Amino acid sequence: MSLQNILTNWSQYRKGHEQGGFHDYEHMWGMAVDLNKCIGCNACSVACYAENNLGIVGKDRFEKGQGMHWMRIERYWDEPNLAPGVSEEFPSRGASFLPMMCQQCNAATCEPVCPVAATYHTPDGLNAQVYNRCIGSRYCSNNCPYRLRYFNFYSYYDWSWPEPLNMQLNPDLSVRDKGVMEKCTFCVQRIRVAKDTARREDRKVADGDVYPACVQTCPTDALVFGDMLDPESSVTKLWKAHQVELGKTKQHKDNEELRGYRIFEGLNTDPCVMYLERVREVEV
Amino acid sequence: MSGNDINRRNFLKVMGWGGAGVALSGCDMPTTVTLEEGKETVVSYIMPEEYVIPGQGVYFASTCQQCSAGCGVHGRVREGRVLKLEGNTESPINTGKLCQMGQSGVQAHYNPDRIQKPMLRKGGALVEVTWEEAAAALADKTGKDSSLNGGRAAWLTGTVSGHQSVLLQAHLEALGSSRHYTHEVINNAVATQVNQDMFGEVQPTYHVTKAKVVLSFGADLVGTSMSPVHFSREHTKFRSAPRGVLIQVEPKMTLTGGNADLWIAAKPGSEGVLAMGIANELLAKHGLSGDALPGGLRDSIASYNTDKVVEITGVAKTKIVEVAKVLAERSPSLVLTGASTEAHEHGYQSVAAAMMLNVILGNIGKTITSSGEFPFPQLTAKRGDMKGLLAFAEHADKGEIDVAFFYGVNPVYTAPKFLNLEQKLDKIPFKVVLTQFYDETANRADLVLPLASALEDWGTHVPGYLPEDKIISMQQPLMEKLYKETHGLGDVLLSLLKMRKPEEYEGFADYYAFLREAFAAIPSDHKGGVGDEKFWMQALQFGVIPVNVAERSIKPTPIEADLPALKEDISYPFYLVPSAHLGLWDGRHANLPWLQEAPDQISKVVWGSWVEMHPKTAARLGVENGEFVRVESMQGSIEAPLYTHRGIHPNAVAVPLGQGHEEYGRYAKGRGVNPLKILNPVTDEKTGEPALYGTRVQVAKAPFDEKQKMVRFGGSETQVGRKLVASITADVFNRTEGA
Ligand code: SF4
Ligand code: SF4
Ligand code: SF4
Repeated sequence: MSLQNILTNWSQYRKGHEQGGFHDYEHMWGMAVDLNKCIGCNACSVACYAENNLGIVGKDRFEKGQGMHWMRIERYWDEPNLAPGVSEEFPSRGASFLPMMCQQCNAATCEPVCPVAATYHTPDGLNAQVYNRCIGSRYCSNNCPYRLRYFNFYSYYDWSWPEPLNMQLNPDLSVRDKGVMEKCTFCVQRIRVAKDTARREDRKVADGDVYPACVQTCPTDALVFGDMLDPESSVTKLWKAHQVELGKTKQHKDNEELRGYRIFEGLNTDPCVMYLERVREVEV
Repeated sequence: MSGNDINRRNFLKVMGWGGAGVALSGCDMPTTVTLEEGKETVVSYIMPEEYVIPGQGVYFASTCQQCSAGCGVHGRVREGRVLKLEGNTESPINTGKLCQMGQSGVQAHYNPDRIQKPMLRKGGALVEVTWEEAAAALADKTGKDSSLNGGRAAWLTGTVSGHQSVLLQAHLEALGSSRHYTHEVINNAVATQVNQDMFGEVQPTYHVTKAKVVLSFGADLVGTSMSPVHFSREHTKFRSAPRGVLIQVEPKMTLTGGNADLWIAAKPGSEGVLAMGIANELLAKHGLSGDALPGGLRDSIASYNTDKVVEITGVAKTKIVEVAKVLAERSPSLVLTGASTEAHEHGYQSVAAAMMLNVILGNIGKTITSSGEFPFPQLTAKRGDMKGLLAFAEHADKGEIDVAFFYGVNPVYTAPKFLNLEQKLDKIPFKVVLTQFYDETANRADLVLPLASALEDWGTHVPGYLPEDKIISMQQPLMEKLYKETHGLGDVLLSLLKMRKPEEYEGFADYYAFLREAFAAIPSDHKGGVGDEKFWMQALQFGVIPVNVAERSIKPTPIEADLPALKEDISYPFYLVPSAHLGLWDGRHANLPWLQEAPDQISKVVWGSWVEMHPKTAARLGVENGEFVRVESMQGSIEAPLYTHRGIHPNAVAVPLGQGHEEYGRYAKGRGVNPLKILNPVTDEKTGEPALYGTRVQVAKAPFDEKQKMVRFGGSETQVGRKLVASITADVFNRTEGA
């Protein structure tokens, strides 16, 4: 990629959001995570294991950071921006829980580095992973600022699904084997069913037609999923209410107190997941 | 009363509907969904073959059996196998949601370590036998022609309810025995006793959503206390604007504590004193009325001036003052207790002190109301506790038990060492263990009966905690049995009954037939105006049967709490906290790989045991994160790696329940330690319930053990200045998102 090349073809290079790739999205799947509601219970994570044929890696490999939790709950003890009066001796304001799944970035840093285009953007606005094409270079996971890509360093089949546990495997998607990268797909198999059904019934996919497994089970309704191109969807309304927009590196809010934010937005990844700030009463 | 009436009554009792008769409310007949419409939908079990649509999932309603909360499930079934469980949206317990244990129900069902054939002890060893041989052994030992003195037969079970409980009681009756011992490690035995004495019922309804402040003395509301998913749902409404305040007092941070607005570590065992101190502030400084309290109690409260309370509890004065202030200003509130307050030597007194706050604060009738009169007392949950295990062990030891049946318990694993349970079990000549897995108790059985999984079985359940909408929850098979030679609990009970009372039970081909007849036996005015068939189909389709209860109101009788001074113990300076978490629970889920690999919500440890300790304490003892420590009580010691964090009182060390299995399959066996083993024989004086949180221990550094080392999820304990979890104050939240 010579300088000459860059200069001649400058107009074809992506210089911001929504340049290059698809322009006529059919859907733009997005999420909102309310940290005021999330209690850090981990139900979403196990639901994802159940839905998406996630392997169990066992203690030693987990220690090496090879766990396959597409949805993981991070837990922090610090309290970055709340009022003083918090004791140093105890975490008086509780813990901070953070559900993290693939942020389905619209300017995904993992996509352009794949030498075989195994990870790419779909007309649904999804960051997809084509397992059959993946050669295991792991460039993508290196380039994911959220560390949300998981690599099959081994074949986990025997330990994860000894008979008859294998009967639980979801036939709507594959079981990945050694050498392949994987990550949260926003439960693309469920999206597919909803789209097929809508097409058969000659209608549009409606809000609530698709619940990813994590969203469906979350006991606190902390997770909201939907089509951001549907102005009437709950997720669109939530983003709007909190004045967070796709395609921006910095949000401009009329009301600075609105809770919506995207993680590492400044990196220009344009994630499709919005978080709503955690809330604590500081009057006690 | 005519003979017919008596027969009718007896008939209703056999069928489980005995007791006060109040109508079940009717529900509308669901719109029938035909296959042609090609919809994924909820259907009943009828004619399952018709619903095997290649490539398409169909949903069946049932009830989760992973804990006794009784959440409704929808099982996704495709090509005859169940693939995934979702919450049943019709159930008022969980309204469509499941916790991680519920999600893992499929792994209990497809577990590779399930027992597939009965096992009979022959010449010292358990050998696989046919079901016929097992039945012959049972008839020989327990049938009506056996030499068994029926009064010397016993059942030791976990929490049971519904028609399984009806048959179990019938079996005991047929034997002429009253020996039903119930055992659960995670229980509310002390709190339910206080409820009974103070409010006249064991389990009133708690309205978290109506409270502006919840003061919880260790109640792990969104975790292991009462009804995990239900209270998580309530928590969401509670936390919507205008947002409720959650104050949690406990020795070790639970999941609920992790979500508190204010988390307070009081000295273990001093929670009752803190409650008295808050009561004193409320009466003396905020002008609340203590008129409802007996004079002696008012005097007692007055003696707990704030300075004295600070000294006993170690809680800062400002905190006590603030908590009282917020309670006085924001009404109604709700005060609840959990294991860390209940399971002490004077647990009953502490709970009484805490619940008394509800009286002072005027919460009765607002956030605490009567749960009413459930019309079918035979079906309600028989709750387990530790006391039940103690009584069982004592009677076994005295040689009072000749035949014992075990179901839903693993006492050899859960019994503290001081109980010497193995030795006492040896005194029971014939032990029958009904189980899905080869656990520690099965290992000592004379006969092991392999059970069908929860997803293969029939049943009815009445949840341990019932919210405002009362129900009976239906359990139906989601697929054919994986193993021919396993049977459901109901079927085993029926066979046992046929051995004692063939004339009464011979007519029921199986438990399904019994349930069909039981459902037909509900008087028609209880069926909401629909016929038998429709009533049954509705039950299966919805998964729940709504039940109307007679209303009641609560007139509280405050109890005088008599709180003795905490004893110091120089040689055993720490309190052991055998903590429970949503995951491995009391150890019953240690064989489910998803839950082993799911990090503990607070410590983030996977696949093993750990010891939690405050960093200050660890520094004093000269031990560091990841190093091994020995936790030693008068009863013995356990060794596990250390996790230090600030969410624990410096006088407490916590060791989670769940690991330390000697049997129980490939994922559980030989992993970690079981803190129950080293418990001291301390009990709550008033109720006799073992004080699980009352054991004193000493801690010292121990040698590193590569095999049991600590593995945790995640590297950083802090956000290192990045904006990952951003927080704002409730004030701002209420301003921008308040209605
Ligand atoms: S299931 Fe919901 S509440 Fe639980 S950790 Fe996940 S997002 Fe949070
Ligand atoms: S959206 Fe689906 S794939 Fe992604 S974390 Fe949730 S359950 Fe897993
Ligand atoms: S709370 Fe209990 S009943 Fe409900 S889903 Fe979890 S394990 Fe099942």
